[in-house]
Amino acid sequence: MAEIPSLGAMLEETARKLSRKEALIFDGHTISYRELEEQAGRTANALAALGIQKGDRVAIMLPNIPEFVYTFYGLQKLGAVAVPFNTMYKGREITHILNDSGAKAIVALTGCANLINEIKTDVPGLEHVILTGQRTLAFAQEGATVFVQMVLDEGRFKSADAVFSAIGAVVAAALKNLGVEDAWYKHQGAVRSGGKKIGSILLSTFENLFIVNALVFLDSLDADSFFRAVWVPPELKDKVLEPVTSVREQTGTVVTSEAFRDAFTEEFRRQLDADVVPGSLGAIERFAYRKIRKRPGGK
Amino acid sequence: MAATWRLIYNPDADIADIPAVPAALAAGRRAGRFLPARFNHPDTIVIQEIRGKGILAGADVNVDAREAAKNGISIAAAPSAAGRRAPRPAGTLRLEDITARAPAACTAAACDPDDPAVILYTSGTTGMPKGVMLSHRNFHAQCSGIVARVFPMRPDDRLTGVLPLYHVYALANGLVASVYFGAALCLIPQYSPALLLDTIAATRSTILFAIPAMYMNLLTLARVRRTGIPHTLRLCVSGGAPLPRTVLAEFENVFHARIAEGYGLTETTSAVCLNGSGECCTPGSIGPAAPGVEMKIVDDNGCALPDGRTGEIVIRSAVVTRGYWNNPQETAAVLRDGWLHTGDIGFRDRDGCFFITDRKKDLIIRGGFNISPREVEELLATHAAVQEAAVIGVTDKRGEETVKAFVVLKPGASVGGKTLIEYCSMHLAPYKVPKMIEFRDALPRSAAGKILKKELRAGYVDMRLMRQGETAPEGGNG
Repeated sequence: MAEIPSLGAMLEETARKLSRKEALIFDGHTISYRELEEQAGRTANALAALGIQKGDRVAIMLPNIPEFVYTFYGLQKLGAVAVPFNTMYKGREITHILNDSGAKAIVALTGCANLINEIKTDVPGLEHVILTGQRTLAFAQEGATVFVQMVLDEGRFKSADAVFSAIGAVVAAALKNLGVEDAWYKHQGAVRSGGKKIGSILLSTFENLFIVNALVFLDSLDADSFFRAVWVPPELKDKVLEPVTSVREQTGTVVTSEAFRDAFTEEFRRQLDADVVPGSLGAIERFAYRKIRKRPGGK
Repeated sequence: MAATWRLIYNPDADIADIPAVPAALAAGRRAGRFLPARFNHPDTIVIQEIRGKGILAGADVNVDAREAAKNGISIAAAPSAAGRRAPRPAGTLRLEDITARAPAACTAAACDPDDPAVILYTSGTTGMPKGVMLSHRNFHAQCSGIVARVFPMRPDDRLTGVLPLYHVYALANGLVASVYFGAALCLIPQYSPALLLDTIAATRSTILFAIPAMYMNLLTLARVRRTGIPHTLRLCVSGGAPLPRTVLAEFENVFHARIAEGYGLTETTSAVCLNGSGECCTPGSIGPAAPGVEMKIVDDNGCALPDGRTGEIVIRSAVVTRGYWNNPQETAAVLRDGWLHTGDIGFRDRDGCFFITDRKKDLIIRGGFNISPREVEELLATHAAVQEAAVIGVTDKRGEETVKAFVVLKPGASVGGKTLIEYCSMHLAPYKVPKMIEFRDALPRSAAGKILKKELRAGYVDMRLMRQGETAPEGGNG
């Protein structure tokens, strides 16, 4: 009986025989078998440099994009085990799969950073979170969403963890003050009430800065109108978004962004022993702002 | 000394302000480093609310600008995550960064053919998803033994990859098979009927693997558009659930293509049966076992049953998994003497074609009588107002199992629960008639199009919810 090739060897064989032939077609671009073989090789070497070895499990939580294929075959080249799973899985389902498989790393969309950060503390074996793609999606609606963003010096807090803890505690306390009595903050992730998400916190690093992007739901979104613009099969609608609630749904009262601002700043002052002074953009910032707004897609 | 923070409150923002204001602050901080200290900017809090509605979307998200405008929604680009100058979520790596620095040359490591190459988690009817181990041998057998003989691919083929690659159907028959045969795979990251139809046309696809709902949607769209319907498809396979014969016939007519219906499981590395189209088709059947696949019908004791008798479908083949990851108990329950017990109930006809009549665990037992939910579902679907139905067993006040139907009506149709119950009474034995009817906008489905009945059951725990103090589920046994 002929030897059975591994999945990695199958790609090498095809890339050798049909190197210039198209392997993938995506978004109007074609990727040849040689390019696919090279990208898989780069991914294999990059993962090996992170300590991924033969037999190790690596989760893939990606839609049908070339990076899925590169990661999949990169793992096959290493003799590692790919654990691709449903991109619509949430919280505990992901935690179960990562723990059960013993995944050392996960490759996911950038937009899932929040979701994965949140469960990371429950998945002690997960060493690396690797993100790709530009599929961030956020809905905003007057009266329903309020954005809390911060730009601060990295040295202000001891670590990223400390920023998460501090901001999470402030948002949760502000929501409690507004009547959401069971608001609680899951470390590195979302603020929840009744099991559902009522706010999310994302922390990014940029040069020597921390950038916080938090979103709080004051009222329910008109989800149907958003889903007309971003088409989702009707049977999957409630799986695309995490179950979300809002201050109005939890308390029965309407809270304005102004009231939220006051509750937030009061807690911020109290918990962080900080002076919060109303202000506006400075001259350099205004200049940068105008430049950013002029970019394609800026407005 | 208390630290001083600046607060910028912007209650009249538009959607583009949401990323623009913090980006301007970051730019200011960067410029400030090269300027005298009086230009230094303080740490800042920005609180913004937008007027109207807005969508903040990354470059790869497909937003329908016309629909957005119609619904009064403005769109702005989410800040790019690409490039070294972009902010990166704390504690993460960027795939593009780590691969850009890595060399391209890499020879595949030698593997034992029985080593797992992939672990795929399947939802199952109850409990937590189980990890199905699929080996290099399993995938190779699927490509060289089944695909090569049942729906052979060529290097000049173009497959439309619309099903998610994390599902066995798309992974084994789509990605791995196209690489094995040197065909091209056209990736669709986010399904919509229009995008699917346009992709088939633009790429002149020759092969399509999809689920019934997608064939139905393609057909509906083709009826509306009438022109520009691609006629390049030479092979279509439908799987995941049965495809109504009327849809199949009309699709073949409109697209000048043949649709074969496939049957397979995650545990069998996808397809093990194919019901061909045209003269090879046996209506209602899943077809004969593919070459290299042994399939038989057994009773509860595992004894083979003669043709025509109903029992459980069992499978033996090189495509069958070695078992569930870290789960010897579940493995022993489904793999007995080398045969995979599928949990699907059916029979084989004299020509060797298999028919599925039910799922083993999906049976409702009322007063000692077995009720096939599928039988009730199929009857409900014949009612003029009903688009589809799902039937489950629920426990009534007396502790007895009783039939409950979840019904989705056709667009614009209306009918009362009482009328549907009367309709069932006309055609079914009394114990099979649903006692409860619940109307739904849609039925919950898995990515492969299977109706998720567990989500319809009372007491269903939504795994997406997270409660304080709740411990995470236990990891595996190992």
